[in-house]
Amino acid sequence: MAAPEVLESDLPSAVALLKNLQEQGLSLLEVKDQLLLMYLMDLSHLILEKASGGSLQGHAAVLRLVEIRTVLEKLRPLDQKLKYQIDKLVKTAVTGSLSENDPLRFKPHPSNMMSKLSSEDEEEVEAEEGQSGASGKKSANGTVKKYVPPRLVPVHYDETEAEREKKRLDRAKRRALSSSVIRELKEQYSDAPEEIRDARHPHVTRQSQEDQHRINYEESMMVRLSVSKREKGRRKRANVMSSQLHSLTHFSDISALTGGTPHLDEDQNPIKKRKKIPKNSRKKKGFRRRR
Amino acid sequence: MNDTLTIWTKKFMTNRSLQWKQMVMDVLHPGKAMVPETEIWEKLAKMYKVTPDVTFLFGFRTHFSGGKTIGFGMIYDSLDYTKENEPKHRLARHGLYEKKETSRKQQKELKNRMKKARGLQRPMLCCQKERLQIHR
Repeated sequence: MAAPEVLESDLPSAVALLKNLQEQGLSLLEVKDQLLLMYLMDLSHLILEKASGGSLQGHAAVLRLVEIRTVLEKLRPLDQKLKYQIDKLVKTAVTGSLSENDPLRFKPHPSNMMSKLSSEDEEEVEAEEGQSGASGKKSANGTVKKYVPPRLVPVHYDETEAEREKKRLDRAKRRALSSSVIRELKEQYSDAPEEIRDARHPHVTRQSQEDQHRINYEESMMVRLSVSKREKGRRKRANVMSSQLHSLTHFSDISALTGGTPHLDEDQNPIKKRKKIPKNSRKKKGFRRRR
Repeated sequence: MNDTLTIWTKKFMTNRSLQWKQMVMDVLHPGKAMVPETEIWEKLAKMYKVTPDVTFLFGFRTHFSGGKTIGFGMIYDSLDYTKENEPKHRLARHGLYEKKETSRKQQKELKNRMKKARGLQRPMLCCQKERLQIHR
């Protein structure tokens, strides 16, 4: 028979191929290829058996099929990881060049950032680049210059009177929404369970928080901070508020929501426009809270 | 020494590079006004087993309605270190430093005269007063 001769002639080349394979290792794609082929062969063998009336019980091919199937499933995550690269390679092979919106096209070219000694070099390099204009950073700096930060374009300040008025109204609305009248209305009509808290006026809690912050800072930095007049006034007002029954009879102004004219209580100061005071009191760097 | 004087120390920290130990002190003196500094020096020195001349206090503030005062304290490793690292006004409280009592007006006049002089005339002006004294 011709089979032994064929085998004999094929053997050296087979051995050489095997050696080659073993040196470099099998690639994932090759392994998958081989496994799929073996799977197909076993499957077709089984179909043949069944078609000719045999039983598949305990057939060796079934076990082989199961083994190949498990290996293929274990290879699936590896496949996932290589999917991107393989897809790209296939696309490049099919189309012949990179697609137009391929992000890799815009990779930086470090050679462009080096200093060019003569203009001839520049032309050569540009000819090499070839491609479209979207090719990386280009810098033609011969000498190392001092870093000058970029000047941002100044934007025109365009706040008109109407906008300022709108802002003021917005702020008044927000303040009105958090006033006690509205809060009580909300509680009345909402389905949420009623919360009972240690009810202090929000100014008072705010001031006590600030005091605590100040004390913590002073104790950790071992310095005494000076208290400005404004701070003193705020503190005094907060103390007074907690001792009086102020909130029983004085309600905050909700005219921003109802649309009426803003009115003030009799004992409150009239709304004054704030003067621009130069802020020289920023000496203690770390203390000011970033609001 | 008041028996009812109590001192609590908090936030104790040792500063090795400046050779001092710093802390926040709570002084409790119920029913009395704030005690003089010297008593607190002695009490602190006893607590930390040092001499009272290396203890320095500052920043005492009495709380409203009295009874409690909170301030800061420092204990140095030795007297040499205090002379190096402590600010002059606190050394003066211990008597280790004497502030020069120069007349402010005279200083300003001298400065203005020096502004008018040029070059080597300036140190002549500066030493003029001493020269006059030596001659006399």
